[in-house]
Amino acid sequence: MSSPLDPKALLANLYHDNHAWLRGWLSRQVRCPQDAADLAQDTFLRAFDAQQLERIEQPRAYLSTVARRLLCSLWRRRKLEQAYLDQLADMPQGYAPSAEDIALVREAIEAIDHALEGLPSRVRRAFLLNRLESMPQQAIATLLGVSLATVERDLRRAYLHCLSQTQESL
Amino acid sequence: MSNTRVDPVTRAAVDWMLRLESGQACPSERQVFKAWLAESPEHMAAWQRVAGVLKTPLADLQAVERRSPGQLHAAREALLASPSAARKKALQGGLLLLLLGVGAAGMVDRVTPLRGMMADQHTATGERRTIELADGSRLTLNARSAVDIQFSAGQRRVQLREGQLQVDVAADPQRPFVVATAQGQVKALGTRFMVRQGADESLASVQQHSVQLDTLNGLQRTIDAGQAVSFTASQIDPQTPTARSQADWLEGRVELHDEPLSALVEALRPYQTGVLRISPEAARVRVFGVFSLDNTPQTLSTLAQTLPIKVTHYGPWLTLIDVRG
Repeated sequence: MSSPLDPKALLANLYHDNHAWLRGWLSRQVRCPQDAADLAQDTFLRAFDAQQLERIEQPRAYLSTVARRLLCSLWRRRKLEQAYLDQLADMPQGYAPSAEDIALVREAIEAIDHALEGLPSRVRRAFLLNRLESMPQQAIATLLGVSLATVERDLRRAYLHCLSQTQESL
Repeated sequence: MSNTRVDPVTRAAVDWMLRLESGQACPSERQVFKAWLAESPEHMAAWQRVAGVLKTPLADLQAVERRSPGQLHAAREALLASPSAARKKALQGGLLLLLLGVGAAGMVDRVTPLRGMMADQHTATGERRTIELADGSRLTLNARSAVDIQFSAGQRRVQLREGQLQVDVAADPQRPFVVATAQGQVKALGTRFMVRQGADESLASVQQHSVQLDTLNGLQRTIDAGQAVSFTASQIDPQTPTARSQADWLEGRVELHDEPLSALVEALRPYQTGVLRISPEAARVRVFGVFSLDNTPQTLSTLAQTLPIKVTHYGPWLTLIDVRG
């Protein structure tokens, strides 16, 4: 017998009461039933991981908040992927990477995008030019039309931004 | 801000990272850094954290780049096009780059011209190519140029999307040979001629026989051998034949007779992967001589020895030309 506060039982209840509703809500957002089903599943998993199920007073408000966050990140990944594929389409055929390499690039840019999330565009650009393409600070300053000190400040900000996330997740 | 959550030792390691790769650290500073690293395991751990920022995805991208060049640019542009860069900030950045004369896609554009990729035939930066057409005509594309080729029963038509071409037309009285630009079209009357698509005007020059020019707004003119004209939809301006209108580039060189340095820089640009910027003062310096298109650094360093100009390279990405102060 599980106690009323057993997370598994709580999740089962939450699932039973809201799964159909959540899938319906998500289907209206994404149009693709498969995506809606996946997102609904992810939403319940997140809710379970949060382990505060007993404190949820308004399950549907809570679930739709979690689902909305997942939806945003899905859209963001799709846009990123599309932007990359657009770039690929613009390249000469001889330069087409293999399917494995395309997958590798997609994963890599997703990880980088995630780490740089929230940084202003100039900071992102300076960081990418420096780390991705090994461009020296002075060349970045000249290219972006800013001072060397500004580039250094931007790079420091990007490093600290990434490092604060890894410290958070520890 | 979230950055305040980073501990002081890690912050110090970030400072070292930036200092060491600024290109300004002197040997004695490197000694101080080594001593700092050896001082405590905590320092070493912080250094590894900083050096490890995004290490795996960055290394993956660089490995892919070695196998298929261009992927780093593609990844960077995708990352900068992504929605997480605040829209307003992105606009400001874009404006800044526009003022510099470097579009957001500018860097990619310099290696693999984007517009060209969609065209039937295109050349990359620094590449010249001669194409034998179905009718026996020979079409030569200058670097960073793109054309669409549309041959039909009644007409041989080449749409010049960007750059510059020269064509040796094979005679075919039944099917006129037409080169179209954004401003008008040039119809060959059996001949050799050159057409160039500029930012907002076109240029046509004739090496043999003559061509007929029709602008979009209906102006007409016959251009004879040795003549050159620039044209927009509503205007035709005869040009004195200069580096711009000659077909020297076919042999990989450009010849200037008392012309501004800017004319040479313009001819070199399609051959240069990085950004080539020239100050207004340097642009006015007069130039004589024959210069190679295929070795820009060499050409520029030769010029710097004979002209009162100063050429500064910032890696392969950026070259600045200014007058010697």
